[in-house]
Amino acid sequence: MPLRSAPLPRMAGHLSFMRSQSKEICDVKSGDLVVIGLPFEDTNAPHAGQSLASRALRETSVYFGWHANPQFSHPVDIDARESIQTDGLHERLCDLGDIPIGDDKKSHDLLKKVTRQINHIGACAILLGGSNQMSDTVQSSLPKSQKVQLGGILRNENDFHIAPMQSDFNKICKLNMSEQFNNFSQWRDSSKPLFVQFDLSVFETSLSVLCDQPRLGGCNLDTVTKWLSVIGKQKVSAIMLTGLNPDRPGMGVIKVGQRLMVTSLLAFIYSRLGFESDPKTQIQRKM
Amino acid sequence: MIANTNTAHASLVQPGYRLFNEQFCDVSEVNSGQIGVVGMPSDWTHSSRLGTRFGPEALRKATTLMQSMRPQNGSFDPDTQYRTLPAVGWLVDCGDAEITADNVDATTQSIAAMTEELTVGGAIPLALGGDHYNSFPACLGYSRGLSKRAPNSNFGYIQIDGHLDFSDRLGAWGTHNHATNARRISELPNVNVSNMVWVGITGWVDSGELALIEGQGGRVFSANDVHEMGAEEVMRQALAHAMQGCDELYLSIDIDAMDAGYLPGTGSIVHSGITPRKYYDMLDGLSDAPLGGLDIVEVSPPLDPSERTEFLAAEMLFRILRKFRTQTEVSL
Repeated sequence: MPLRSAPLPRMAGHLSFMRSQSKEICDVKSGDLVVIGLPFEDTNAPHAGQSLASRALRETSVYFGWHANPQFSHPVDIDARESIQTDGLHERLCDLGDIPIGDDKKSHDLLKKVTRQINHIGACAILLGGSNQMSDTVQSSLPKSQKVQLGGILRNENDFHIAPMQSDFNKICKLNMSEQFNNFSQWRDSSKPLFVQFDLSVFETSLSVLCDQPRLGGCNLDTVTKWLSVIGKQKVSAIMLTGLNPDRPGMGVIKVGQRLMVTSLLAFIYSRLGFESDPKTQIQRKM
Repeated sequence: MIANTNTAHASLVQPGYRLFNEQFCDVSEVNSGQIGVVGMPSDWTHSSRLGTRFGPEALRKATTLMQSMRPQNGSFDPDTQYRTLPAVGWLVDCGDAEITADNVDATTQSIAAMTEELTVGGAIPLALGGDHYNSFPACLGYSRGLSKRAPNSNFGYIQIDGHLDFSDRLGAWGTHNHATNARRISELPNVNVSNMVWVGITGWVDSGELALIEGQGGRVFSANDVHEMGAEEVMRQALAHAMQGCDELYLSIDIDAMDAGYLPGTGSIVHSGITPRKYYDMLDGLSDAPLGGLDIVEVSPPLDPSERTEFLAAEMLFRILRKFRTQTEVSL
């Protein structure tokens, strides 16, 4: 007798970020994390495919949807030997779906309106790009906001840059991180909204490969994770993921870019939700 | 001019590649002490990204090509500082087990029958996956064979992997799939969980499974442990733990413990930070271990158009099988 029947597709069913609840904007509450997809194609990009990023990020995030799967016990981060608290996550993480594509002006207006509304409610928008062309739209919906940028092209010196792609792009990766965290604390004005742009190019190219802006001397996963954990302790109005092209020529089957981004984004989500590291949750090694 | 064209070409190695370009023969003809290769071209027990059914053929091709680039006469091994000669007749390829795609039980018994016969005869089964579930039938056959060859022997178990694979069941895929192979192995009669060791585990794991392993005396070394303690020290401790009261080691090599930035052609990628060099250092740490059987799994050529994954995996075999494939000549 066969031990089991044929396999079922893992990605079946409604695809939401980390298997979170689908909600309407009117149901969003203060403190929620609100996922929105931005499936836009940047026609200036060297390769087509950025519009597939939001779907790719959602697909990869399903692996971390443990909070919605009663089959599993709570997860442990085996590298840190720390219990991961997932209670309450399902109530506070939700997915609004994608901004509709078509008319550019309408799309930008809608993105601006939704981001402003989420900020007004006191929630945090998690915007799944794609193209970084929409980041100005997001920032313009958050008046007088400060911007933290991980990776990407350096455009405004008033922003706080983490491993930007410029002549000094190695600087922050190689400096003492605690010193950099202090610099960040001093730069941050908590009276202003905070916008975070998280570009895949923050990572070393040998790890990310699916980025249209390849680089040497980028960060490793651990460094980015630590940064996003620190940033997540701030009252962030919006974080926008950019730079992922899951369909770079010949590499549509390779999933490393989205996995890197989602894995490190988890640190932001947990930090933002206030799931602080608790010594009581440390898992002791049994020798 | 056509008349000047050189038509003397080296003969092709077709049909089909054999691992390390060594000889092909039936499992019943493998001699004691030889490595006997069993292909397990099945990915029906993977829950998401398929393609590992092409793994055995890719490993055969990659090891053959890499073998052809290595000197056949005496060569200098910069890692050991020894001059070595290639061994003769150290490995035979027994072909693939029969895979019945919609019947896991039949596939399990087919693979197990081959590795059992090899083990009973004193050979060392080397099983080529396939998804990681196939490690269970390979080890099942080894376990059965060991209980016939040495009835009172127990074996130690080391799994290099990004994941524990210790679930009792996985949703719709039930009890026999790529997330349960280590659990099923732990239920075999001649292995104790206290002799089971995992190395390279990273990211999120199920707390219940971790507690079950460590509560029974098993050990888990994370990727972070490899970074902090060093590959050599981790493998020294892993081997010591696995071999307590045991005579032989069964080694399961899941290639996905390597960081996906280097090795993307596998079903369940992780970002462990483990580089190829670090992975090979781990295998070097086991190259003198008393191997009774081993497998290498999760090579999925369709998921890596660059083909580097199968070559990285082939090098893993070169490393772990060093003492079998070379004769040490002189130290320099």
